[in-house]
Amino acid sequence: MRPSISVQTPSSIRLKGSIHARLTAGVAALLVFLAGCGATGGSSPSPTPAPVSTPATTAPATSTATATVAPTVTPVVMATPALTATPEPAAAFPMTVTDDEGTAVEIAQQPERIVSLAPSNTEIVFALGAGERLVAGTDADDYPAEAAALPDAVLQTKVLKEQIAALRPDLILAYGNGFTPPADVTQLRALGYPVLVVYASSLVTAEKDITLIGTALGAPTEAAAILEEVHAQFDAIEAVVPATAPRPRTFYEVGYGPGIYTPSADSAYAEMITLAGGDPITTDASFTISLEALVEADPEVILLGDAAYGVCPDQVAGRDGWQTMTAVKDDAIRPAFDTVVTRPGPRLPLGLASLVRGIHPEVTLPAGIPPDPVLCAAP
Amino acid sequence: MTAGLAPELARVRVRRFEALRRRPVALVVAGLVILAASIGAAVVLGNVSLPLGDTLAVLGHRAFGWPATVTWPSSTETIVLELRLPRALAAAAVGTGLAVAGVTFQGLLRNPLADPYVLGTASGAALGAALAVLIPVQIAVLGLGLINLLAFAGALIAVTLVHQLSGGGRGASMTSVLLTGYAVGSLLAAGLSMAMYLAGANLRQIFFYLLGSFSTASWDQLILGIPIVLIGTVLLTLRARSLNAMLLGDDVARNLGVNVGRERTILLALASLVTAACVSLAGLIGFVGLVVPHVVRLVVGPNARLVLPLSAVYGAAFLVLADLAARMPGELPVGVITAIVGAPFFLVLLRRFRAGYEL
Repeated sequence: MRPSISVQTPSSIRLKGSIHARLTAGVAALLVFLAGCGATGGSSPSPTPAPVSTPATTAPATSTATATVAPTVTPVVMATPALTATPEPAAAFPMTVTDDEGTAVEIAQQPERIVSLAPSNTEIVFALGAGERLVAGTDADDYPAEAAALPDAVLQTKVLKEQIAALRPDLILAYGNGFTPPADVTQLRALGYPVLVVYASSLVTAEKDITLIGTALGAPTEAAAILEEVHAQFDAIEAVVPATAPRPRTFYEVGYGPGIYTPSADSAYAEMITLAGGDPITTDASFTISLEALVEADPEVILLGDAAYGVCPDQVAGRDGWQTMTAVKDDAIRPAFDTVVTRPGPRLPLGLASLVRGIHPEVTLPAGIPPDPVLCAAP
Repeated sequence: MTAGLAPELARVRVRRFEALRRRPVALVVAGLVILAASIGAAVVLGNVSLPLGDTLAVLGHRAFGWPATVTWPSSTETIVLELRLPRALAAAAVGTGLAVAGVTFQGLLRNPLADPYVLGTASGAALGAALAVLIPVQIAVLGLGLINLLAFAGALIAVTLVHQLSGGGRGASMTSVLLTGYAVGSLLAAGLSMAMYLAGANLRQIFFYLLGSFSTASWDQLILGIPIVLIGTVLLTLRARSLNAMLLGDDVARNLGVNVGRERTILLALASLVTAACVSLAGLIGFVGLVVPHVVRLVVGPNARLVLPLSAVYGAAFLVLADLAARMPGELPVGVITAIVGAPFFLVLLRRFRAGYEL
């Protein structure tokens, strides 16, 4: 009998931890619209949007060009809706950008030593053609292949500040909503590094973030091109689901262990499922749903976001109490490619495609969209 | 070796400890040397390997202005002076604070299982930190974020609550204080669980906090934390006599001329203040406050005049080394290291002294 909570509390966490360990993701990976930690089946799809080819355009002459117009103006705030993909003039440094937490971040010169603290940021930087300017990423980076070879500035979701300092970064791309611990962001800023906190709470902000990172890297034109491509792909994929098609009630399983985890109503998951022609079954910000509520909601389609972590349709069908669900009776339990569904970046169209495959298997996706990787062992 | 020889050997070893017991100054000096060496190691070693010469040059340059010319990259200075040194000092301060508070609580409650978190401090601090995470405001006072401030406040409020509810200084038995602490702690723990349930994506922040870490230690935090711990430690050591008297029981203490109620309140307040400072610096780190005092007692006996300063020094060195081991491979939770390294060591000592160890 040790009348202390210091034992009690971690054990209650360990209870939760077991789910997360199973998901091989950090606690928040379930909850943040990002996840993307951990490998997904190995066979990653071929790069559809903006393959890494063009090195970023440096613009040495811009300072004189802009100086005549407005010497003190700092091009700021990329609130421009991403749809207007007007190429902007090459960025002038120093510049001040406002990150997703509303912090004004000054970037002295074109970043050449970038540290990414989230897989989604890494992907965006590579897609912008600035992959060679990344000096460190995370241990969860799995796309593109070169990203995995980068030194890790994040290990097991812990930010390695010594490693970061040793690399003398001139831009750090953190992730919000607690994914990069706020205390670490504060400390890195106190050490004098420009830290941009990116957080895509919705599809609109996911788009905005590509523009934001593009601006900060001095590659706004590339960002606009990516968005144009992403929009075209979204439109093409949405178009294959007829407007008249039924919208099946869709349960997206984020995680299952003790407790059932599903997206909250205001998450980007829900947006994506709606775009894919489904009617998402959602919950509140706790991301948990009771079995009762799920049975009552009676999903017609069950998508397994946790398929990459070894959850397969036959297991789901065998769960106690699940047999009453229409999706189980109809055998409409399908794996989903969670990494691209949840990772806000240039591969979101692949996520949408994966959802459409799961929700409307009857439709044919546009040509050129690679199949999902094998997500769990074939039945 | 044969079974017959073992007790003989043990006696020899005990005699060696006896010799140590009579030379407390040597023990303190040795402890300070070990502490200095630990801090030195914590500054020189880390996740990134730096040339030893550069590290020493950075320190010399900052402290004495020599060498005058900067020949090392600026990153070395950042790593040594802004990341490693404050972190090592924070670990030392927290090690000192937890060990000293542990000695005090164990003596005060006459309970060998008492640790600094025993009277609701841990759950109070944890609940404070959890609330700080849930409140969507960002404020910082003296480099301390809301999470540190509310943890500090939570720890103190919890102890005050326990003290008041149990009748505190007014002759309440220590058993009732202990049980009140347990009850209040459980209540706050329920609040913590609720807060964690509601935390959503912020769960991670609370989780990290509960695991305890020095990873975000900074000079700003130390400005407040170190004085509280050091002053508290000195004041507690000055009251070692009262603590000794109370170990013999309240009646004996009274007969020895100790104002039991008053001394108890003062000791409790000081130990709680030190604990709260530690908790706000580093979250919850188990084991140090429980075991370091026992290890010291096993070596030098129960005299608080010795146990307090020795626990302070060796607790500091232990936690500095534990934190170094935790961050060498990345960022392991330091509480895991303290337990993995400390528990077997403690067991060995306990076995050796199986007979006749009393608090």
